[in-house]
Amino acid sequence: MKSLEIRNLQKTYFDPYAGTKVTAVQDVSLDIREGEFVSVVGPSGCGKTTILNMVAGFLPATGGEIRVGGRPVKGPGADRGVVFQSFALFPWKTVLDNVGFGPKMRGVPKAERDRIAREYLALAGLSHAADRYPNELSGGMQQRVGVVRALANDPDVLLMDEPFASVDAQTRMTLQEELTRIWQEKQHTVLFITHDVGEAVFLADRVVVLSKGRVMRDIPVTLPRPRVWDEVTEDEDFKRLSAEVLHMVRAA
Amino acid sequence: MNPALQAWGYYARWTARWPGVAALVPFIPVVAIWWLVASLEVFPRAFFPGPAEVVRGFVDLTYKGILPAYLEDSVGRLLLGAGFGMAIGIPLGILVGLSQTAYRATWPIILFFQAIGDIAWLPILLIWFGFGLTTMTFVIVYTVVFPVVFNTVLGVRSVPRDLPRAALSLGAPRWRVLTEVILPGALPNIVTGLRNGLGYGWRALIAAEIIVGTSGIGFLMFDARRAGSATEIVLGMIVLGLLWYAVDAWILAPIERATGQRWGLVTRT
Ligand SMILES: Nc1ncnc2c1ncn2[C@@H]1O[C@H](COP(=O)(O)OP(=O)(O)OP(=O)(O)O)[C@@H](O)[C@H]1O
Ligand SMILES: [Mg+2]
Repeated sequence: MKSLEIRNLQKTYFDPYAGTKVTAVQDVSLDIREGEFVSVVGPSGCGKTTILNMVAGFLPATGGEIRVGGRPVKGPGADRGVVFQSFALFPWKTVLDNVGFGPKMRGVPKAERDRIAREYLALAGLSHAADRYPNELSGGMQQRVGVVRALANDPDVLLMDEPFASVDAQTRMTLQEELTRIWQEKQHTVLFITHDVGEAVFLADRVVVLSKGRVMRDIPVTLPRPRVWDEVTEDEDFKRLSAEVLHMVRAA
Repeated sequence: MNPALQAWGYYARWTARWPGVAALVPFIPVVAIWWLVASLEVFPRAFFPGPAEVVRGFVDLTYKGILPAYLEDSVGRLLLGAGFGMAIGIPLGILVGLSQTAYRATWPIILFFQAIGDIAWLPILLIWFGFGLTTMTFVIVYTVVFPVVFNTVLGVRSVPRDLPRAALSLGAPRWRVLTEVILPGALPNIVTGLRNGLGYGWRALIAAEIIVGTSGIGFLMFDARRAGSATEIVLGMIVLGLLWYAVDAWILAPIERATGQRWGLVTRT
């Protein structure tokens, strides 16, 4: 695992048709320690996706610096695993081959990468779906595969952009519980983006509230782990924190 | 049991076992009307042969070996042209689909040449290459290339942006993104382009053979006109239709289904 440092990050989009500039990220600094789980929340359009895309290396920053384990980020790389809101599974590959894709790119032989993929699929209770194609799975199952595919490549940092936004409420809670369980086992450094305040607090060690391209607040979450919804929902600290964060997001 | 129902039961079972049979059934009334018109001698027999004469002509030409040889020539030319057409069209389509610069640099030229049309090239091709295989191959390549290019560009552009991104963050180098994501993502469209291209190419080939040919189905028909044999002309027309049906229904359509539908990239029909 490695730390993630974001220093004075800035992004200005240029719209060639309108000829105007939009500053999506003003000035964001954020440090995530090794093995720490940080949620970023904020109202729609405050620049969350833009930040994640720059950390992932999909977009160039127009200012500031991003370092993973002290090394500056230049473009996408296997050290930063990404879980997409759109799942982004390869439709022409089976679940097993989707999960084994990262190891395949590293040159791991077929038998070995199948073993790795099966091990991770078992972790998410997906062993039975190994030979199916993504379009044969439910949305919840597809996103489990998305998470497992990122994990199986053993990244230093895990980046997730509203990964559970498009699954139903019950499945979402199950996926959140599974994610905390797997995270406790693997201790990845996680940058998790969401606009669901309950989700942010439930998962994270720290919740960062973003507003108009700036960090507004950085709140530690000290709820005991492992966390399961049945207990956390009743927890006074959880209720108080969620209310506080919700208030800030709405004021943002 | 009702005998009509029983007959329907037989029919359903037969066509389930041999789907080709079901494809022939719609032709029964067509052939029946043809036979009726021919045997009523509405038109003189020499101008309007009936099914029996055409079948006799088929047996005759097959026995002499002319039909198989000509068929082989035509199909061989089509495959050669289609091969070159794909070899040019697919890489060009991928390049144009991926690169905005390549798009701006080549698109006007592509549209310009598409507008000229395949047969319109024949006069100048005959001066350059004479009456031969080069001329015919050029015409087919020309016909196949455009649908392949257009559909490949469409296919490349329709790959969701997150898929190459996912591949890159899983450690794929750029060229692997091309082979593992862009190509398979564009494949259903490429196959559609090829299917269209071959359809146009087949028609262009027959036209080219009629003008240029020394063999082939198109030449057979044109040669028969000189000899005044309506039977052979009609036979040639039927062979064209049947052969295309076989290629499209038994080879191209299954490939298209196998790629797109299996992956959920296109909806099942
Ligand atoms: N490619 C682009 N070109 C121009 N402006 C953009 C582009 N992408 C995003 N923006 C603008 O940048 C701002 C931040 O967008 P971003 O997608 O990062 O927001 P977000 O916080 O992820 O919102 P949401 O919660 O709705 O996903 C918005 O005002 C958006 O309109
Ligand atoms: Mg977003």
